[in-house]
Amino acid sequence: MAPPTRPAGITRAATIVVIALLFSACSGGTSPSPSTVATIAPTTAPSSLPTTAPSASVAADVCTAPTAKAGTTLTFASYGGVYQKAQRQAWLEPYAKLTGVTFTESEDSANATIKAQVETGQVTWDVVDVGNDFGLDANKDVLEPLDYSIIHKDEILPGFAAPYRVADITYGVVLAYRTDKVGGQVPQGWADFFDLKKFPGKRGMYDYSAGGIFEVALMADGVAPKDLYPLDIPRAIKKLDTIKDQLVFWPGGAKSQELIGSGEVTMSLMWNGRAWSAKNLDSKPVAIQWNQQLLTSDYFVVPKGTPNKDEAMKFIAWATCAQNNAGPSQFIPYGPTNKNSKPQADKVPDLAVSNVNGTTAYFDDQWLVDNAKAIDDAYNAWKTK
Amino acid sequence: MPLTGPSAGRSSRRLRGGWTINRWAWLAFPTIALLVVFFLAPLVLMSLRSITDPPNAGLANYRTFFVSEADVRVLANTFYIAAISTVVCLVIGYPYAYLMNIVPPRMAGVLLIVVLVPFWSSLLVRTFAWEVILRDTGVINSLLISWGLISQPLSLIRNTLGVILGMSQILLPFMVLPLFAVMRRIDPEYTRAAANLGAPPAAAFRRIFVPLSLPGVAAGTLLVFVLALGFYITPTILGSPRETMISRFIADQVQQRLDWGLGSAMAVILMVVTFIALVLASRVVRLRDVFGALEDES
Repeated sequence: MAPPTRPAGITRAATIVVIALLFSACSGGTSPSPSTVATIAPTTAPSSLPTTAPSASVAADVCTAPTAKAGTTLTFASYGGVYQKAQRQAWLEPYAKLTGVTFTESEDSANATIKAQVETGQVTWDVVDVGNDFGLDANKDVLEPLDYSIIHKDEILPGFAAPYRVADITYGVVLAYRTDKVGGQVPQGWADFFDLKKFPGKRGMYDYSAGGIFEVALMADGVAPKDLYPLDIPRAIKKLDTIKDQLVFWPGGAKSQELIGSGEVTMSLMWNGRAWSAKNLDSKPVAIQWNQQLLTSDYFVVPKGTPNKDEAMKFIAWATCAQNNAGPSQFIPYGPTNKNSKPQADKVPDLAVSNVNGTTAYFDDQWLVDNAKAIDDAYNAWKTK
Repeated sequence: MPLTGPSAGRSSRRLRGGWTINRWAWLAFPTIALLVVFFLAPLVLMSLRSITDPPNAGLANYRTFFVSEADVRVLANTFYIAAISTVVCLVIGYPYAYLMNIVPPRMAGVLLIVVLVPFWSSLLVRTFAWEVILRDTGVINSLLISWGLISQPLSLIRNTLGVILGMSQILLPFMVLPLFAVMRRIDPEYTRAAANLGAPPAAAFRRIFVPLSLPGVAAGTLLVFVLALGFYITPTILGSPRETMISRFIADQVQQRLDWGLGSAMAVILMVVTFIALVLASRVVRLRDVFGALEDES
């Protein structure tokens, strides 16, 4: 090696910087990149004038004969996979046919992306399907208030319509179990989930502080569903400690389906659609215990500043109408949020809303959002210990 | 990997301060421009964000980090796991590189490919492959159970063992390549001379070969350690929450909590701590030698 002519100090400093750059360049994990998929164009010309009599209410028109400004393109963002496919078939395609609206889609719905779009003034999403942890007043800086002059708030399940969000589908956070690993017994609720003597084996758990972990621990410890909030976190953690070593955490639905499908876990906290898929699509011996399910939903929101605000509102009003809201449940067991909506009879037994009983629990989204930091800090401190 | 280009030293103009440059150096301009726009500028913005989000945050985000039990634990965890992975890579990588150095060139080529092939497949794919191998219902446990050697599955995954296995395998090329580059340059005459002067092989190896290979050890160790600090997916999939590393927490802040101020502060903290580690390392080893080793690879 030839002796360098450069002063050692500069070389050393430069080398440190280069290594630091190298480090930063290589160490990223996967960063989800927004992808736009399938563009749905209307296959027929927009329907002509509504056939209903002129005296019909505006609301009826929104549900049965929606209209849109010519040349409208709406971008719909949801969570991809069979879920978004169900939404596409039940909502986007018929709506495109009826109104002439063209849909573009993103399969990477993320709260962070909404925030980034609004902050940078590059709002490209018009209608976004988000989870129950988003869309309350805490996020009002990045969302448009919904137009309840056309959305039928009175028909939506109580508590599932708020100024900036309206629920589009309902699902349950349920206890799913392997029928071949429970020794002929049926786990009756979360108490059995925590009973390692009666039901040995690992347990799947959603790795998210507001995803149900504390709620199910408290129910297992004897707290009544209606008395869950405010959550007694120390009590929940004490209960969780009793099965901590048997917990296998999953970061998203697909993983939960695989964990129970492979038999890696005997029971899991799961979204009912994923448990259904493990049983019906993957043909695995999986069953759902509906007792003490947490009934919750995904919500439609409209990012602040979208140029298609009015058209987005009309689509949301249409998709949450009684006639249309149960559409996706034909393809995936996620039920309607409109009280008057009638899912297909053969699909009813698999829907979370059809299995509501006295033991059903509900997330208090407002409390969870107001206390998000405290809950998350407690959760992180517990799980990393 | 952005390795440094050929040295611009020979037959070039000498600038003040001892810097030398020639017209070919301008070829680096696009790279520099790219780095400034897409790396340096965002880095500066992110650092600013850590003290201005929420407005007038000052050092509040940093305070939040250091009073959080979980954050500090995870930062310490990150260094702990990175250190173990590095040691494992060195222990496996050194003999391997030594073997590559003493076998005939054709054999060395084969050994090189064996190291490189996994390197060419995606980190995610390899991580998932490890999961399939290690999990309770995975290849190893299924075989052992079906042979009747064990009745309960061994805990190979969702613990530190799983994380270290996965990370070491992924990082091994970054250890072997610099080691091999340095070892290749060690003149075999030196050890032969030592033997001629009466040194037994072990002594010749220990007192001649090992010291001469130290620049490679330094290069590999630093490279592996620094890369390991940024791991995120592998510990999430192969570890339990106890093996959570700081990058995962940063992602949670950005994606889940939408607290970009705190997320930025955490990123700055990781960067600064890494930087400090490098500065400390630079007092022990000559980083110039580290890059001398890398230059030979390009």
